[in-house]
Amino acid sequence: MREWVNWSGSLRFTPERIETPDSEQALVALVQRAAEQGRAVRVVGKGHSSSPLVQTDDILVSLEKLQGMESHDTAAHEATIRAGMTLQDAGEALLKVGLAVPNLGDVNVQQVVGAISTGTHGTGRELPCLSTMLVGGRMVTGTGEVVEFSEQTPDLLRAARVSLGVVGIVTSLRLRLLPAYQLHRQEWCTDVRHCLDHLDELINRNRNFDFYWYPRSDEVKLRTLNPSGEEPGDLSYATLVEDHTDWASRIISKVREIKFDEMEYGVPEEAGAECFLQVRRRMKDKYRQYVGWRLLYRTVAPDDAYLSMAYGRETATVSVHQNVGLPYGDFFRGIEPILRDHEGRPHWGKKHTLRAEDLRPLYPRWEQFLQVRQRTDPQGVFLTPYLRELLGVPISEQARAAAPAGR
Amino acid sequence: MRGIGRKVWAIPGGHIPMGSAEPEPEFTSRDELCLLNTNEQLAHLEITIYYSSTDPVGPYKLTVQPRRVRHVRLNDLIDPQAMPLDTPYASVIESDVPIVVQFYRLDSRRAENAILGTMAYPVDE
Repeated sequence: MREWVNWSGSLRFTPERIETPDSEQALVALVQRAAEQGRAVRVVGKGHSSSPLVQTDDILVSLEKLQGMESHDTAAHEATIRAGMTLQDAGEALLKVGLAVPNLGDVNVQQVVGAISTGTHGTGRELPCLSTMLVGGRMVTGTGEVVEFSEQTPDLLRAARVSLGVVGIVTSLRLRLLPAYQLHRQEWCTDVRHCLDHLDELINRNRNFDFYWYPRSDEVKLRTLNPSGEEPGDLSYATLVEDHTDWASRIISKVREIKFDEMEYGVPEEAGAECFLQVRRRMKDKYRQYVGWRLLYRTVAPDDAYLSMAYGRETATVSVHQNVGLPYGDFFRGIEPILRDHEGRPHWGKKHTLRAEDLRPLYPRWEQFLQVRQRTDPQGVFLTPYLRELLGVPISEQARAAAPAGR
Repeated sequence: MRGIGRKVWAIPGGHIPMGSAEPEPEFTSRDELCLLNTNEQLAHLEITIYYSSTDPVGPYKLTVQPRRVRHVRLNDLIDPQAMPLDTPYASVIESDVPIVVQFYRLDSRRAENAILGTMAYPVDE
């Protein structure tokens, strides 16, 4: 048995074993055996999440051997990739066939399926979370069946888009994409007042806009990305500090060597600025002594994935960070009530303290998601104690009877 | 001009004040390094921070362009860790070429103790 450690180092556990099936058939056999033996199977991507979604003392499955593109249709702007590909690798592979993902988050080291399954997002008022580019694929259910899903199976698709890995293990993803495109990235420094005075126009007039706020100096960095020639122009109230153009898959995300833990919530966009101001005030009053990391403010377009942070509403996201190695618990717990007071929904892959009773009222299609999960994994092979608590799924008599002694 | 200064400097009296006057960032209380590189080549710096009761943290890596000065607020450094405010510390700055290091503190909480500036201690090798 060997310890598994996530990207930031804040999540560590020792599964009974780590499996790396090299084919869908091998995964089917693995899940079927686990179901027969009453074992739990958790699927893990690149380990960029820091919430304990993948934590298990049983079987951890990595799809890292399922690499490459299965097919593409450049004219239809679609491609099908295997589940082990990272966003970075997929970006390069898609670029070679003239395609690109519509958006990316701040980094691109995650597996595509991991980013999709946790509702990972970038920024842009017209740009929904990455999950929405998933329009079909195949998954292995908790009973070990291979099931295809698509827009012809809307219930399953909307659950699979942000699935937390409890609906099935997705092995193949059909993605709706864009023709390969370039973006002009600019970064500007200014202060909070100018940023907020111009916030709506910055969000409305740029394809991608977000800003960082620095708690140790109260300064702000604005980031804009636009197709060349469609930039809204210079910002008289800000100083340009970065300016370059490249393919979208290479320029939206950045390489981050420094590691951190993070908590992020999505709030209704109209509440975003006020929420940010309250978080800023509390950070300056209470946490500036130990927190130097910046806050990130983004926007996300609404979508209809059952567990999406942006389900049914224009969303602004507020995320706070702390260096790996420095305490984050007191800081995050002190900020979280503000985010919740603004009807916030947590990012599934980042730190938060919510459980089913808190989460259920936040997601209008919560019950539909649970119904789909029950259909695809009736025995709860993909559930762990944390996930049962998170989703409010009690252990069934069937699962209890099937579980090995001591589990 | 030839490179003047030393390759190693020490500043024992670090202590970033906790509170600040408005507006920020102009009046943010801070400890600041003023770094002068008179060389014709880039200076690569590594800063190690020493504390009274915990192990040193570092290196914080910086560069200073040839024949340029750079002012760096220690408050703003986050890689590898944000430095705690209101905590005594010392810093040792190592450079691959000779540089000159001055230390500057602004404590904007009260006018009476607003500014302190001193040369760092140059270490002969």
